[in-house]
Amino acid sequence: MIPLPYYVKKRIVNIIISAIMLIMLAITLLPVGWMVFSSLKSSTDIAIGRVGLSRNLAGQPVVHWENYVDMWKNVNFGLYLKNSLIICGSTMVLAMIFSTLAAYALSRFRFPGSDLFSNAILATQMIPAIMYLIPLYIMFVKFTVLTGIPVKGTFTGIILIYSAFFIPFSIWILRGFFASIPKELEEAALIDGCNAFQVFRHVALPLAMPGIIATGIYVFLTAWDELMFAWVLTNADTMTIPVGIRLFVGNYQNRFDLMMAAATVATVPVVILFFMLQKHIVKGLTAGAVKG
Amino acid sequence: MLLLHIFPIAQGIYMAFLDLNQFTLQRYLLAPFVGLDNFYAVLIDPGSPIRIGLFEAVRNTVIYTVVVTIGTLVVGMIVALMVHRNFWGRSMVRTLFMFPWIVPTYVTGLLWGIMWLREGGLVNVMLVDWLHLMPHKVSWLTGTNTIWAIIIPTIWRFWPLSMLMLLAGLQTIPEELYEAADIDGAGPWRKFWMITWPMLRPVWFILILFGLIYNTYSFNIVIMMFGFGAGFPGEWGDLMMTNIFRNSFQLWNFGTGAAASVLLLIVMIAIVNVWFRYFKRAEEMS
Repeated sequence: MIPLPYYVKKRIVNIIISAIMLIMLAITLLPVGWMVFSSLKSSTDIAIGRVGLSRNLAGQPVVHWENYVDMWKNVNFGLYLKNSLIICGSTMVLAMIFSTLAAYALSRFRFPGSDLFSNAILATQMIPAIMYLIPLYIMFVKFTVLTGIPVKGTFTGIILIYSAFFIPFSIWILRGFFASIPKELEEAALIDGCNAFQVFRHVALPLAMPGIIATGIYVFLTAWDELMFAWVLTNADTMTIPVGIRLFVGNYQNRFDLMMAAATVATVPVVILFFMLQKHIVKGLTAGAVKG
Repeated sequence: MLLLHIFPIAQGIYMAFLDLNQFTLQRYLLAPFVGLDNFYAVLIDPGSPIRIGLFEAVRNTVIYTVVVTIGTLVVGMIVALMVHRNFWGRSMVRTLFMFPWIVPTYVTGLLWGIMWLREGGLVNVMLVDWLHLMPHKVSWLTGTNTIWAIIIPTIWRFWPLSMLMLLAGLQTIPEELYEAADIDGAGPWRKFWMITWPMLRPVWFILILFGLIYNTYSFNIVIMMFGFGAGFPGEWGDLMMTNIFRNSFQLWNFGTGAAASVLLLIVMIAIVNVWFRYFKRAEEMS
């Protein structure tokens, strides 16, 4: 056998790696495809374990597009979608306002306890969520008993909790963004006669905007994903999607097809959001890691 | 703002010492103080409801956390190296690889619950009917198979994040290092272990740290896969978080739940400290 020249060898290796990569890509995307495919089956198809679609008398496969209509009627999915949007949107705005201010302060000014504050932010990430949940649940119940103001099952309650939960993480990411803005720019603005707030408003804020958007989207995605708190702290009127989606399968019905349709619908907004702002998100998430 | 954190945590720790269940809930923090009884119930008392299944939950959590953390790192590294090369359609492929990471975790749980089904689940269909790798269909959601049924979806959901971070790290490694290694006659394997892996140290340090924390506290995927919140994941699928959640909010034993989460927090602080210390020592040695 004639030894291959190195560039041919390199080419072959490259093609093999590309092939493996494409197979991995297929495996990666397969479950998502299966979700969409299952959402077009009938509930009997899934119950009896039929792999493909069922066929009608003429032998044609039946695609159950009506699942996407039925899912809104079967359980009140529209309400859950609306609740999720309200809760996640408000959380994002609230968390971003507070964490932007706090992150700017931490990156620019040193005050007594600023180191402690930074460490405390990281430490909050280590605490199991359930450790907050138990006291918060009892606090909510007790507060309503004492004052008559409902907290459990209201938007205000869950939005406050979510914001408090996401602010530390946001501060941690945003601090890196503010730290990467050159101090000279702000000093120049100070010399030109800006006060400290104007410097923040007209220099630091616009420069950190990509980072703020990325962090905001990340907060939205994480809030969209949150199940445990929503489960305990919402009621039938303020239920979010992860809590409501469970109702498709339960004591009275077994509609896996509708559940998959609902899961697809719940995934779509997130996918759109991600692909629209993909550049920002990728940059924002990796900025911290590469700096080390 | 920190008030919102410290206040509940302080209460959470205090509640670990109270006999708090649905009868004493009305009395809130004035519930009977029982000292270390809750910890006794969690750790030692063989008859208490939370002690039953605790050993399984701890064992599963350890296996789950270690395998998922390493698995996401390995898969992420392999794919990051693959998409780091130059090829046609590179940015498209990179974006598509990110897809699982955008799928919400509760959808991941539901979706894989369908995939693992014995009849008509995609995994069995592929392995048995199409590829003929297995002689007969497997029940994935019972017995010891359960632990794999929760590990694999979690890896599937989280490795794109590792890939993204490692890829960003790969791009910062100067090309000259590899050229120098080429001149010295190093093969690809050696180049990876002598250059790529050490240069990526800050990235995988963070990835392992957060992987350990988040996977120990993993909840959504497991709870959604088994009975959609109502069911019990089985003795090979129950994790610490699902165990504590069930005890607190379905059996209404808040005191023991708080005690168990305090213990979990202590273990977590210890693990994070050990990892930091190990990392610092490795840093000094190199």
